[in-house]
Amino acid sequence: MILFENVSKIYDANFIALQGVNFHLKKGEMAFLTGHSGSGKSTLLKLISLMERPTTGKITLNGNDISKITGNNISYLRRHIGMIFQDHRLLMNQSVLENVGLPLLIEGYTAYEIKRRSLAALDQVGLIGKEKYSPIHLSGGEQQRIGIARAIVNKPPLLLADEPTGNLDPKLSLEILSLFESLNEMGMSVLIATHDLGLIAKMRYRTLTLKSGEMINDGLVRGGNV
Amino acid sequence: MSEESEKSKVLSGSPRITKISLIGQVSAFFRYNIHALFTSFSALWKTPFATCMTAAVLGIALSLPCVFNVIYKNIERGSAQWNGASEINLFLKKNMPEQQIQVLINKLALYDDIHLVTYISRHQALEEFKKMSGFSKSLNYLDENPFPAVLVVIPTEAGKNLAGNRLLVSKLKNEEGVDLVSVDIEWIAKLQAIVSLVVDVVIAISTLLLISVLLILSNTIRLNILNQRVKIEIFKLLGATNNYIQRPYLYAGAWYGFLGGLLAWLLTIVMVKWLQGGVSQLMSLYQIKYNILMMDAKDVVLLIIIAPLLGFVASYISVKQYLVKIEPK
Repeated sequence: MILFENVSKIYDANFIALQGVNFHLKKGEMAFLTGHSGSGKSTLLKLISLMERPTTGKITLNGNDISKITGNNISYLRRHIGMIFQDHRLLMNQSVLENVGLPLLIEGYTAYEIKRRSLAALDQVGLIGKEKYSPIHLSGGEQQRIGIARAIVNKPPLLLADEPTGNLDPKLSLEILSLFESLNEMGMSVLIATHDLGLIAKMRYRTLTLKSGEMINDGLVRGGNV
Repeated sequence: MSEESEKSKVLSGSPRITKISLIGQVSAFFRYNIHALFTSFSALWKTPFATCMTAAVLGIALSLPCVFNVIYKNIERGSAQWNGASEINLFLKKNMPEQQIQVLINKLALYDDIHLVTYISRHQALEEFKKMSGFSKSLNYLDENPFPAVLVVIPTEAGKNLAGNRLLVSKLKNEEGVDLVSVDIEWIAKLQAIVSLVVDVVIAISTLLLISVLLILSNTIRLNILNQRVKIEIFKLLGATNNYIQRPYLYAGAWYGFLGGLLAWLLTIVMVKWLQGGVSQLMSLYQIKYNILMMDAKDVVLLIIIAPLLGFVASYISVKQYLVKIEPK
């Protein structure tokens, strides 16, 4: 699914965000990405979603080299990646249903199909009945679920989550991670960036650990915060 | 889905990519555009004050070229009536015998560009002057009739225009027995030069106003784009192409142009109606009944097409300048 081959990312002023990163996330696999703040977790996710470009190395997605993709192909690629953000990135002046339906609207689905699929996604994240609300009137946990529903509404083969439980209490965090587990069981590849090692330990999935831009561990980890 | 074939190049092993038929792609294309058309109008509707202000600025800027156009059309119609001299006076040599005058009249009657020739003999000229001047008794004391015989030549339509008139005058000057050709066509040339200058000024002002419309709209759309930066970033993250994102802004520009065009039409009617009173009063002083020309259907249709097109172009400039530079962070 995702293959990183000796990928480095150096920003201006020679700030090295990632250095020589190698890993392979298989199709249908779920993994955590962990490390301190500034270790390069977000940069790695940005490289996959083409918000950033690698300085060196090669990133392959489904067998295609995405390092040099340009123009509209970037957009077409993003349609196949569900992205979940810590700050949710929702449109507060639109309803929950409209927010969730955005990826389908962009892909040109009919209004009927958008509604049908959006309600199904909201059902999956337990938000049925709140589709007409504005996200601003919902709690942080509910907003995160809207973000998840939006990310999965078009059934992407890959789900990327950047600190999806960062603002949530432990119980809600576990619920969200269980949701990711169920999505993974349906065949989605899932990569979750988080610094909550306690949570990771409970889930017992493959964990990629970054430190100062280098991958220092690839395997299971024990509990505790990084 | 209209760009599905492109997508398949990116992620060809993806389980959920399916091939979409041509009809499906065309249908999606129309759905995108109709959706963008209505959402852009709905966005303008949600901010009525700002929309009205922008449309009013555009309406005023567009109404001035429209009013100039109406004024030009009326001047052109009015000046067409004075396009050339309606009559030419040929003053004949005093010693020209009557027989030779008749030969000349017959010759002139054969000219293609002469409609009618009227002969005023020396005696008729004197009598006419006596009646008009009131010096009939004094004129009796003159030894000799001072007036020459006159041929009043009325040109055909072809001979009435400025060029035809000049040609006819030059031919008449060369006729034997003609002492002087009297025709006042210089004022017509001056009038036409003034009209031509007015047209140039109007074109220059109209061009400047149209450029100002472009700049105003471009700036409005630029502000819209910058205000919706977060939304644009989210759309890009979700896979919207620049074409998809720019469409509502392009249509918004076209809507602004359309509303401005409608307002310009109404303002032009009001302004021309207002001018009509003054023009009628002026014309009545010359005993002329003049009905002012308004914008005809062709002009209105042209305005309603050009104004949204201008809006579209203005938006396109802004979109290309700013929207493409916004990238999700």
